[in-house]
Amino acid sequence: METLHFLMQGFDVATRPTNLLVALFGAFVGTIVGLLPGLGPINGVALLLPLAFALGLPPETALILLAAVYLGCEYGGRISAILLNVPGDAAAVMTTLDGYPLARQGKAGIALSLSAVSSFTGSMIATCGVVLFAPILAKWAVAFGPAEYFVLMVFAIACLGGMVGDKPVKTLLSALIGLALATVGVDSTTGVYRFTFDSVSLSDGIQFVIVVIGFFSVSEILLMLENTHNGQKAVKASGRVLFNFKEYCFTFWTMIRSSIAGFIIGVLPGAGATIASAMTYMTEKRLAGDSGKFGEGDLRGLAAPESANNASACGSLIPMLTLGVPGSGTTAVMIGALTLYNITPGPLLFEQQPDVVWGLIASLFIGNVILLVMNIPLVGLFSRMLSVPNWVLVPAITVISMVGVYAVHSTTFDLVLMIGLGVFGYILRKLDFPLSAVILGFVLGEMMEDNLRRALSISAGDLGILWGSPITLILWALAFLMLALPGIRWMRARRKAQVTGA
Amino acid sequence: MYVRLFAAIWLLFCACLAVIAWGFQAPFAYDPVGPRAYPLLLLALMAVGSAWLVFKPGEAVEMLSRRALQRAGLCILTLLAYAVLFEPLGFILSTALATFVLGLLFTGRVLPCLVSGVLMGVLLYALFDYALDVPLPLGVFEALVES
Repeated sequence: METLHFLMQGFDVATRPTNLLVALFGAFVGTIVGLLPGLGPINGVALLLPLAFALGLPPETALILLAAVYLGCEYGGRISAILLNVPGDAAAVMTTLDGYPLARQGKAGIALSLSAVSSFTGSMIATCGVVLFAPILAKWAVAFGPAEYFVLMVFAIACLGGMVGDKPVKTLLSALIGLALATVGVDSTTGVYRFTFDSVSLSDGIQFVIVVIGFFSVSEILLMLENTHNGQKAVKASGRVLFNFKEYCFTFWTMIRSSIAGFIIGVLPGAGATIASAMTYMTEKRLAGDSGKFGEGDLRGLAAPESANNASACGSLIPMLTLGVPGSGTTAVMIGALTLYNITPGPLLFEQQPDVVWGLIASLFIGNVILLVMNIPLVGLFSRMLSVPNWVLVPAITVISMVGVYAVHSTTFDLVLMIGLGVFGYILRKLDFPLSAVILGFVLGEMMEDNLRRALSISAGDLGILWGSPITLILWALAFLMLALPGIRWMRARRKAQVTGA
Repeated sequence: MYVRLFAAIWLLFCACLAVIAWGFQAPFAYDPVGPRAYPLLLLALMAVGSAWLVFKPGEAVEMLSRRALQRAGLCILTLLAYAVLFEPLGFILSTALATFVLGLLFTGRVLPCLVSGVLMGVLLYALFDYALDVPLPLGVFEALVES
């Protein structure tokens, strides 16, 4: 009952005219950013974050904007996946498998509208999940002390290593690079300057905005240089514009199943939309067995990843709001945004800033409806955006990045640092290091060190406090399990190889 | 091969940073950990990770062609020049130049790039400075505004 009351209060915040306008704008921009190949939710949020800050938007409005962009990107990614066979963002890779064949068969309209409804179902189910579970988890998380927090963050990083799959060492190393970047600057407890190399500009650390824009926008520009496709030919959306009732019933249970699975994967720290869509697609394929035409245009193969990636996007807001630990790269950026406003995400957020939390949750519902309404009739307009040539698009991204970074401190040093980090990020990407792990590490870095040192101050230097309570023990066990996962997978693959070899 | 090279360089880099980090000492102990232990812990873990990659780099990564490398280099130089000239030349001029050069790099034709450069410089300045209240440097145009 109490929850319902808070939710109404949230709707009150979210339906203020400015917030509605911001949600509309965010949803529109998000869809465009999502459908442009290469630009994903992190880029969208990163580009708009400095703008929101410079505009002096209040925290709840800024957060609503970012959340709308996040959701919008998950909607937008499917458009280029279906019409171009190019995933608009990483999570839409699975959508191309069945979406593009459908478009080739002249069913582009059906594919687009059905995937929009799948996305809608996914986000709606997951947002209900957020409403149900977030307050409970927040209440429970109040009992967390610094030691528990520290271990929780270790678990989050271990999750990343275990779930991202085939390259655990690279993922963990990326997370460590992020953690190390966060140590630059003056040490908050003792006032000692660390890794500043006597530079004044580095003394209060590397600004969050610079890291995000450098790593994601600048490195993206360099990556785009390699494939200079100019105004690709999209499949013409022809035939029926809307799916029929039979097709909806055919995919109904797929949507429900995939949404719930996507939500659970989203809640796990570290595992994001990409994993959720891949896992649900494989599950549906297995469930369908021989009756499915997966890979040749099965509607279920389209509905599963689309509902899962939206569900996990919403689900990843739970660890962010309740624990202050990001559930995905994009929520890591959102945590950074909150810290810019001097709001520390965590269990107390529900008590201290109910407007922010419940306004955000309510705006997810509203944003979803806006996106669904916007996406079905405006698909033509959005698909035309795909023909914007790179020689206009790239300079525009560059200029907005520059302005975003310049708005923070107004120094040339920051601009050069951003490009330096961008080049470094480009090298990491070329070598197959996941960049979202770096960002996650960077966001967790300061919290992790603070909590570790606070815990050890409480125990007067006794390391035992780190595994002294049941919660910490469980988290350590889970973390080790996560770290062992790639090893177990590898062993199993080897055994299988031996069996087939013999 | 390239992963191995990167990991080796990163290992060396960690060693250098560790030497620097060794010098972090607080004049007075505020807490039992101090400013040195945590960075050293991270560096040690990173060193272990890099060492692992030196020995087991995993699948080979494909390398860029010579032409692609040249273009990437040019792009980085352009971006750096843009960053350095952002303040002295001012937003409008530096943006117009950078947009023009980047447009050419991304296989645009000369005239359209020129037009888009000028347009972007002027329009975005108006958008950010007047509509969104983000202060941007005027640079060489400052004198015009003053007089």
